[in-house]
Amino acid sequence: MSTDRSTVRQIISDFLVRVKKGRDELPDGLPLFGDGLALDSLEAAELSVVLEDTYGRDPFSAGGELPQTVGDVLSFYEGAPAS
Amino acid sequence: MIELLRTAAQEAPDRVALASSAGELTYGELVARAETAAAELRRRGVRRLAVLDPDHGTVWALLAACSLAGVESCLYPVAATDDTLAELRERLGHDLLVTPRDLPGPGLLRPERLWAGSERDSGPVPDGPRPLLVLTSGTTSGRPQAARHDWSRILRVTLRIDPAPEQRWLLAYAPNQFAGLQMLLHVAAARATLVAGASFQPRDGLEAMRRFGVTHASGTPTFWRFLLAELRTDGAPTPDLVQVTLGGEAVPSAVVEALRERFPVAKISQLYAATEMGLSISVRDGEIGLPASMLDATDGEAQLRVVDGELWVRSRSSMLGYYDDEPVPDDGWRPSGDLVEVVGDRIHFRGRATEVINVGGVKVHPLPIEERVAKVPGVALAHAHGRPNALVGHVVALDVVLADGADSGAVDAAIRAEFADDPPAHRPRSITFVETLDTHGGKLLRGRTP
Repeated sequence: MSTDRSTVRQIISDFLVRVKKGRDELPDGLPLFGDGLALDSLEAAELSVVLEDTYGRDPFSAGGELPQTVGDVLSFYEGAPAS
Repeated sequence: MIELLRTAAQEAPDRVALASSAGELTYGELVARAETAAAELRRRGVRRLAVLDPDHGTVWALLAACSLAGVESCLYPVAATDDTLAELRERLGHDLLVTPRDLPGPGLLRPERLWAGSERDSGPVPDGPRPLLVLTSGTTSGRPQAARHDWSRILRVTLRIDPAPEQRWLLAYAPNQFAGLQMLLHVAAARATLVAGASFQPRDGLEAMRRFGVTHASGTPTFWRFLLAELRTDGAPTPDLVQVTLGGEAVPSAVVEALRERFPVAKISQLYAATEMGLSISVRDGEIGLPASMLDATDGEAQLRVVDGELWVRSRSSMLGYYDDEPVPDDGWRPSGDLVEVVGDRIHFRGRATEVINVGGVKVHPLPIEERVAKVPGVALAHAHGRPNALVGHVVALDVVLADGADSGAVDAAIRAEFADDPPAHRPRSITFVETLDTHGGKLLRGRTP
């Protein structure tokens, strides 16, 4: 699975549709939590599962700071080969 | 054990005790082997031994021989690797291993050497301790423990078994499991016939049912789920079972309903048994769970009560303790590790304490989830478990086997829709479609990670 930004963005978009939080657009600066996508902890956990299943790793489990925006998730995969 | 076999052999020495693709063994032959082996064990001064043998006739005879000679026996799982066997022998102090398998090291004896002699021990069963070790399945811990029992206590469960020589029971548990040992005891006490398949896999069990005219079968819910799946796909005639027993795991209602449909004339019963408790409680009313009235009962072999959602048991036939560990108080209350809920007049099993999924501090029982997933169209089998997650500890995850022709996308959506209105922690967050589900000792492997 490609790690280019559009592919990762599509995976996030599909996930959001499934949890009934779909958006027409997902700009990089859109917050994942709070006033943005308003993901709760279990939805974030589910998104991490989806990403891990696709790429073998995910930014929520990587041990660093949690991603705060859509762009943070996309950047996590930039330049990294898919496993 | 020897007393049960002798009684059966005195009544009908030529009656078949064990039927399998390897041939037949009569009660007379079984007793002859056991008495000859008992004499040889005494002659060799053996006090303890381990047995590793895929031949059920050999195992049965050796158990009886040990019960006659006062030798502590312990059956090892046939599937054990050489390394596992070495670890078990070291940990349990077994200097002697009776096995046909070629293994490295000393202390090995081939079983046929024990009945090669001409002397037979046809004397009475001796007074005093007659110990045996029974390994736990190790399904959750991965490391079997050895429970110390005594034949005099174990045999109590056979007192209420009436002779029924017409019965032909399928052996669906390995004899090294407590449930398998119970099956040997039950068949011997009923003076009936035990039928063994080529393996304990449901497919081989089904083949043996048809080939040997099995009338009674006892297996785990997982065993029955797979057997029903085999029946659906192979299209061959359904065996004429008159008794279907489930035990060893919590019993999903969907499995009971499917069994009722497939075996309409069979009595369906549930068996609650545990290696450490040394007991087996059979419920034959066809309803899910145990009657709640058992919580008030003060007579019988065992008493039950519920403490913080867990079933506690006081059993007169419980183990004496684990090997190389402190003795447990005789007749004391012990936690069973089985989580239960009293619903109306029934005690429903919710799974093992070790199987509970902790989702961000919310405890989620996998079994009710599996039951609901199993009813979703397109699902053949489902296994719910906890998947580790950095954010919330674990999420509810599903491994799902699709029914023939089912579309994974549609089934995925249907499962998520089924749980859409549940509390968030209970909703499956990870659904993986698999070809088959892993089992161990007839039970689903639980508590694992994908």
